[in-house]
Amino acid sequence: MELDRRDFLKFSTAAFAGMALSGCVLKKLIESDEAEAPWPPGPERWIASVCQQCPGGCGINVRVIDGRAIKIDGLPFHPINRGRLCAVGQAGLQVLYDPDRIKGPMKRIGGRGSSKWQSLSWDEAIQTVAAKLTEIRGRGEPHTVAILAGQPRGLMDRLLARFLEAYGSPNYVRNSCDGTAKAVLLTQGIDTQVGYDLENSNFILSFGYSLLETGWSPVLAHRVYGYLRQERPGAKAKIVQVEPRLSMTAAKADQWIPINPGTDGALALGLAHVIVREGLYDRKFVEEETFGFEDWRDGDGTSHLGFKSVVLKGYRLDEVSTITGVPVETIIRVAKGFAREKPAVAIAERGASMHTNGLYTRMAIHCLNALVGSIDVPGGVVLPPEVPFTSWPPPEGDSIARKGRSMPRIDHAGTALFPLAHHVVSQVPQSILRGDPYPISALFLYYTNPIYSAPEAVGFAKAFEKVPFIVSFSPFMDESTAQADLILPDHTYLERWQDDPVSTVMKSPVLGIRRPVVKPLYDTKHTGDVVLGIAKAMGGKVAAAFAWDDFEGLLKEAAKAIFHDAGGTLFSPPFEEVQIKALGERGWRLPTYKSFDEFWQALVERGGWWEPAYHFSGGHGLFKTASGKFEFYSLHLRRTLERAAAGKPVDELLKKLGVAARGDRAFLPHYEPPRFIGEEKDYPFHLNTYKPATYAGSRGASQPHLQEIAGIPVGLKWDSWVEVNPKVAKQLGIVDGDWVWVESPLGKFKTQARLYPGAMPNVVNMPMGQGHKAYGRWAQGRGANPNQILGEERDGLAGFVAWYATRVRLSKA
Amino acid sequence: MADARHSHDPDAALFQPILRTGKGFYVTAGALGAVAAWAIFAWLYQLTHGLGATGLGRPIYWGLYITNFVFFIGISHAGTLISAILRLCQAEWRRAITRSAEVITVLVLFFGVGNVLLDLGRPDRALYVIRYGNLRSPLLWDVMSITMYLTASTIYLYLPLIPDIALLRDRVTKRRRLYRLLALGWTGSERQQRRLEVAISIMAILVIPIAVSVHTVVSWVFAMTIQPGWHSTIFGPYFVVGAIFSGIAALIIAMGIIRRAYHLGHYLRLVHFNNLGLLLLAMSLLWFYFTFSEYLTTYYGGEPREMAVFYAKLSGKYAPFFWAMVVTNFVIPLVILSNRRTRTVAGTIVASASVTIGMWLERLTIVVPSLANPRLPYARGLYMPSWVEWSMMAGFFAMFILLYMCFTKVFPIVSIWEIREGREKGLAEAQERIESYLPGGGVVREG
Amino acid sequence: MPRWGMVIDLDKCTGCQACVVACRVENNVPFAGSEQAEMGRAIFWIEVLSIVEGEYPNVRTRFIPRPCMQCDHPPCTAVCPTGATYKNDEGLVAQIYPRCIGCRYCTNACPYTVKFFNWFKPQWPAEMRNFNPDVAVRPVGVVEKCTFCHHRLQKAKEQVKIEGRELREEDYVPACVQTCPTKAMYFGDLDDPKSTVAHLAKSTRTFRLLEDLGTEPKVYYLSEGEWYGGRKA
Ligand SMILES: Nc1nc2c(c(=O)[nH]1)N[C@H]1C(S)=C(S)[C@@H](COP(=O)(O)OP(=O)(O)OC[C@H]3O[C@@H](n4cnc5c(=O)[nH]c(N)nc54)[C@H](O)[C@@H]3O)O[C@H]1N2
Ligand SMILES: Nc1nc2c(c(=O)[nH]1)N[C@H]1C(S)=C(S)[C@@H](COP(=O)(O)OP(=O)(O)OC[C@H]3O[C@@H](n4cnc5c(=O)[nH]c(N)nc54)[C@H](O)[C@@H]3O)O[C@H]1N2
Ligand code: SF4
Ligand code: SF4
Ligand code: SF4
Ligand code: SF4
Ligand code: SF4
Ligand SMILES: [Mo]
Repeated sequence: MELDRRDFLKFSTAAFAGMALSGCVLKKLIESDEAEAPWPPGPERWIASVCQQCPGGCGINVRVIDGRAIKIDGLPFHPINRGRLCAVGQAGLQVLYDPDRIKGPMKRIGGRGSSKWQSLSWDEAIQTVAAKLTEIRGRGEPHTVAILAGQPRGLMDRLLARFLEAYGSPNYVRNSCDGTAKAVLLTQGIDTQVGYDLENSNFILSFGYSLLETGWSPVLAHRVYGYLRQERPGAKAKIVQVEPRLSMTAAKADQWIPINPGTDGALALGLAHVIVREGLYDRKFVEEETFGFEDWRDGDGTSHLGFKSVVLKGYRLDEVSTITGVPVETIIRVAKGFAREKPAVAIAERGASMHTNGLYTRMAIHCLNALVGSIDVPGGVVLPPEVPFTSWPPPEGDSIARKGRSMPRIDHAGTALFPLAHHVVSQVPQSILRGDPYPISALFLYYTNPIYSAPEAVGFAKAFEKVPFIVSFSPFMDESTAQADLILPDHTYLERWQDDPVSTVMKSPVLGIRRPVVKPLYDTKHTGDVVLGIAKAMGGKVAAAFAWDDFEGLLKEAAKAIFHDAGGTLFSPPFEEVQIKALGERGWRLPTYKSFDEFWQALVERGGWWEPAYHFSGGHGLFKTASGKFEFYSLHLRRTLERAAAGKPVDELLKKLGVAARGDRAFLPHYEPPRFIGEEKDYPFHLNTYKPATYAGSRGASQPHLQEIAGIPVGLKWDSWVEVNPKVAKQLGIVDGDWVWVESPLGKFKTQARLYPGAMPNVVNMPMGQGHKAYGRWAQGRGANPNQILGEERDGLAGFVAWYATRVRLSKA
Repeated sequence: MADARHSHDPDAALFQPILRTGKGFYVTAGALGAVAAWAIFAWLYQLTHGLGATGLGRPIYWGLYITNFVFFIGISHAGTLISAILRLCQAEWRRAITRSAEVITVLVLFFGVGNVLLDLGRPDRALYVIRYGNLRSPLLWDVMSITMYLTASTIYLYLPLIPDIALLRDRVTKRRRLYRLLALGWTGSERQQRRLEVAISIMAILVIPIAVSVHTVVSWVFAMTIQPGWHSTIFGPYFVVGAIFSGIAALIIAMGIIRRAYHLGHYLRLVHFNNLGLLLLAMSLLWFYFTFSEYLTTYYGGEPREMAVFYAKLSGKYAPFFWAMVVTNFVIPLVILSNRRTRTVAGTIVASASVTIGMWLERLTIVVPSLANPRLPYARGLYMPSWVEWSMMAGFFAMFILLYMCFTKVFPIVSIWEIREGREKGLAEAQERIESYLPGGGVVREG
Repeated sequence: MPRWGMVIDLDKCTGCQACVVACRVENNVPFAGSEQAEMGRAIFWIEVLSIVEGEYPNVRTRFIPRPCMQCDHPPCTAVCPTGATYKNDEGLVAQIYPRCIGCRYCTNACPYTVKFFNWFKPQWPAEMRNFNPDVAVRPVGVVEKCTFCHHRLQKAKEQVKIEGRELREEDYVPACVQTCPTKAMYFGDLDDPKSTVAHLAKSTRTFRLLEDLGTEPKVYYLSEGEWYGGRKA
């Protein structure tokens, strides 16, 4: 027995040793390359800057440790977001630290799009561009140089435009997504976006303005929404969302009114019909502050139609109901609510505007505001003053420049082709392809990726082939940049100096200062500095137009005017802010800083400046029209069209522009039946390509955190999908998660179907943002891009791309 | 190698497997070894890649491994428990089958525990359950009761082995050292025999509550949570019944194979299969009774969250598994075993195979559907085990069979001394006992 | 001892998921990637559930952000064999990563499905390894979940000590609450009668998820109109 006990001991010791050992071995295996060296946290700083994942302009506060950005938070005292951020803003570090960023200037060495690149130094790169541009100028063709700009915030916009002016080209072409500005121009004579005083509204009637997903400042809209829902004392504001899709906004509204796409104008005028007929409109405002409500006579005695006759004679509710698909009772109820529960405001953005009848639709919607007197009153349409930057004298330019910039624009904006447009990006490819009015010899891409984000049918990819020299400023290898000859990568928004003036989303002008939160990670360069460098390298009058050493200096100088003006306040804690606001409202200006340098330092540290005080004018302050009033009958439109018709009858021009109305009606808001691509019998569904809250335009797909939350409402991640009404899907034999072909007359693609009761039976919805062919490891080759099958249709007057005009059919794949 | 002296021994056949090993054994062992080796590769793969190598995800956090854990632990009730009960009841027919049953228990327990280890995200920290043990956790109860069960079962297997080992020590030329060591100096003296019998009886009594506790506690791992489909008071007995049920089935299969492979038809006779078959039938009915009352109460209560799981099993994604379980656990055994004509050796083996599959499915339909239908909405997916999980499962079965085979090569799989004892004393004893049941016979001790 | 709690006003919540991303960045939660996300391996300490009900055109959508409920009677802690998850003295249900054996018993015992497992060693491209040093990066094979940004409490306490004052409500704000753009989320001491959360928790609009389970969640929801007591959720 002795022996056995010893054996037992031996055994058990061995067993335990074995277990302990295997524990260690296992640990080794499991945590193979663990070596997660505890990262020594160094000094920590919080740096104020501005988000640029969307145009929202939210202030950010970035936690930086050892020169690495750790977390983006909201900037507490920023008047737009008050310390809050949206999902996209929160994900911003994945833009900065995207491993697939372009790490320095590169030139193409293989064929176009062959992705063979060679690095070069910034000096070389800038010299190359300067030489090229000088050569083009030498040929006397500076106008053949164009810049396409997507998100040129603040002074970058002015700088790019000025560069071309000094150089000698009229072809600064910018994305313009806003239907509102045009409606405001036609009725109020001001060529700008307006804001809405939503906090004080009691009735918000939104025509497809998906405030809680996209829009001009999503976080601001969210803040206001939360406030209206549960914080504002007194009666709750009513929110009505008119939209073909149950968007997040529609879901959170008090009422969702599904509407047939492209028919918002009819609904708006139907509402006006009720309001006018029932005498519910603001008589005092309409009488005193508007023009063209009643029928009227002009100087030579010709009688003209007024808004009232238009809406009363047409727009019978049964007709409107048939067109829009909105029941008559609903129209009546909403109209009464809108007119009675004041202040009420009618808002809209791309959803209603981006159709072939967009301009008139947008006008019709805006006229609702005038009907109820909601212009420049609390709770209505407001117009914040601009940020008082130092203005620049126009660049003098030499004779070549003067000649060049007097040439017609490549996009035909403002001509008889698009009489009301300033920028028509979608016209550029056609012009290039046809050499109309002339060929383009160099194209610069700033913050835009048209090959991806414009309908393929518009033809950017083909047009690029015809441009001998393409330069992209993008820090990312997107589809368009992949076709460039030269890439001059910009810093990302967390590495650069930039102003971000936001003057359209609230009552106040807000100037956020974007400043580098970390040192640039790679050999990139601020596009502003590159442009200044190119100008300098070209010398002469071009260089002379730019007195600044770098963009930071340019920005600093522009801010001097704010310092001297001494109005407004830097972002400050609530207590201070209330005081300054009260004083400002009484007209006080308080110069708080002794010197500009002191002011500048504080401006940068606090993150920006704004003007909290606002003076409501009750309307008249906002009318810069010929009549000095709000024009239901747009004299501006008439004048513009007459000018564009150049002596020929306006009706002829209208026909060419694809406008159905003739005579006075063409100058009044009215409903034009929208044109669609594809016949209803072959292509029974409208394709609504919306922008989900969790993408940042075409840019969100490269950010994995956003990819991973993208389709929460439909339970899908990292992919695209098409939303189909469940009953319709059943008829088609499609079940949730099936792969389907989405086919338009222009082509088809495959994606997953999601049954969604928030889809109208005649509309299918698809988020835009996936289906990249480039743009890094996370974006590339995932889902489908609806732009590949969208057709090319536009609003003839304003040049809006009719994004929502393509019809499709579905079939099981 | 056969010892000529003993060729006239009536039980010589029982030594044969130990004395002679045919080609079939090596081929089978080789094949099983290959599967086991593959499993080891899969295991290393899982270790280095993390549990991501499985098909698990949220919310289905447990899958094949835990199913197999419950299944294996269930099978373990074959041996010790059944043999203990039969021993205590002095069922004479037990003599030929207890050993093969007990071996199942001891071996299969390792694989049960192995499955839990496989399922751990951090097997390297497995001993933390001792170091930081939280007594409130049913998993800790499991650790305790399984350890106890394993110890008791091993002793319980070992004790009746001692006389046989002594036999081997005396008769077989190979592995002398081992046999000598394990025989613990057994001489077969009266004293030793008495002591052994007492020890065996004590263990038999001890082992029953432990075995019952084991599967009760295993069931409590589920029942102690408040998850729909798990939080049930009858889970304890339900699991124990299921365990014995599957244990008997496993035993019958093992016996069938042994009988065939080692030509032990004389020892493992129709009566064994018949009796076990009847036991299996009884368990099948009992199992059905439990299943029925479990699901009826759920259905009758109609609590929505419970019903979600209920329907997932009866008509939803897991319906094929559920109904296959009902067929294999109830319909097939009922049909085969309730009919004397089909309750043959082959018949009981078929029924047992069916039950084995059925009980595995039962474990699966207990573990997975509850997880797949959490209370709050969540994108629910169907769980598909990965190649690693299938490989580990195949590997564990292979290793189990391999070890079992090896056991039969080292120790007699039918208890020789007990058979002899039965032959020598059993008859008289049984006669006496039977008489005692009858009026007028034996000594009546009335309370 | 304060009893930290959260209130989420569902009437305000738009399902924007800012809270989700904020939490991920703050707490060094890696993204899973498309394949792994598909398998249910994406980790979201807070997640927005969305429920779409009804038929066109009468459709109702609800968004419910769901962090860990920090139950006062947590079903997840009792079952943990190693005590790697436990309720600390301040009522926060915490995880000790180095002690977790990865059995995932707690994930299955949690009726809210808010515990997550590290199926793989968390992976980031080298460029993205900019971690919050206040939060441990989890190793492979352990369970994690919302901590109510406990590290922020630690930091706040240190700060308060330096400044020699009492902890105020605004000193300790979790990342999700801080960013919520509609201010739908509130956070504070439920036992402090002056706090907003204590006040809101008593509102008639209040309910808690799966309240009938007796888990005593410390996350309260406010809703408008009828709500199925969390049942329907
Ligand atoms: N998160 C986020 N915010 C963004 C952006 C982003 O990409 N992401 N992009 C920014 C940019 S560049 C812009 S231009 C703005 C755009 O902001 P919005 O002007 O709000 O435009 P979209 O988001 O395109 O939304 C258009 C909506 O119109 C609806 N719609 C489609 N057809 C019709 C119709 O016929 N009638 C009506 N009534 N509705 C219709 C669609 O369902 C969709 O919800 O958002 C900006 N903000
Ligand atoms: N189907 C469909 N298509 C649409 C829309 C839709 O609703 N439906 N919406 C349209 C609208 S409103 C718009 S505004 C467009 C937007 O589309 P785009 O004009 O293409 O603009 P973005 O998507 O904002 O970004 C474009 C590019 O900017 C580059 N970029 C990113 N960061 C930086 C930086 O820091 N510096 C520089 N210089 N470049 C950078 C990236 O390469 C990116 O590819 O899409 C339009 N396309
Ligand atoms: S709303 Fe726009 S600017 Fe504001 S945080 Fe979101 S992405 Fe950034
Ligand atoms: S919600 Fe789940 S994880 Fe959180 S404390 Fe409660 S039971 Fe535990
Ligand atoms: S997974 Fe970790 S925390 Fe959860 S029960 Fe197991 S050991 Fe405890
Ligand atoms: S409290 Fe902190 S850990 Fe919890 S969900 Fe919010 S951010 Fe994430
Ligand atoms: S951040 Fe706020 S509004 Fe957005 S989903 Fe989360 S709780 Fe809701
Ligand atoms: Mo846009």
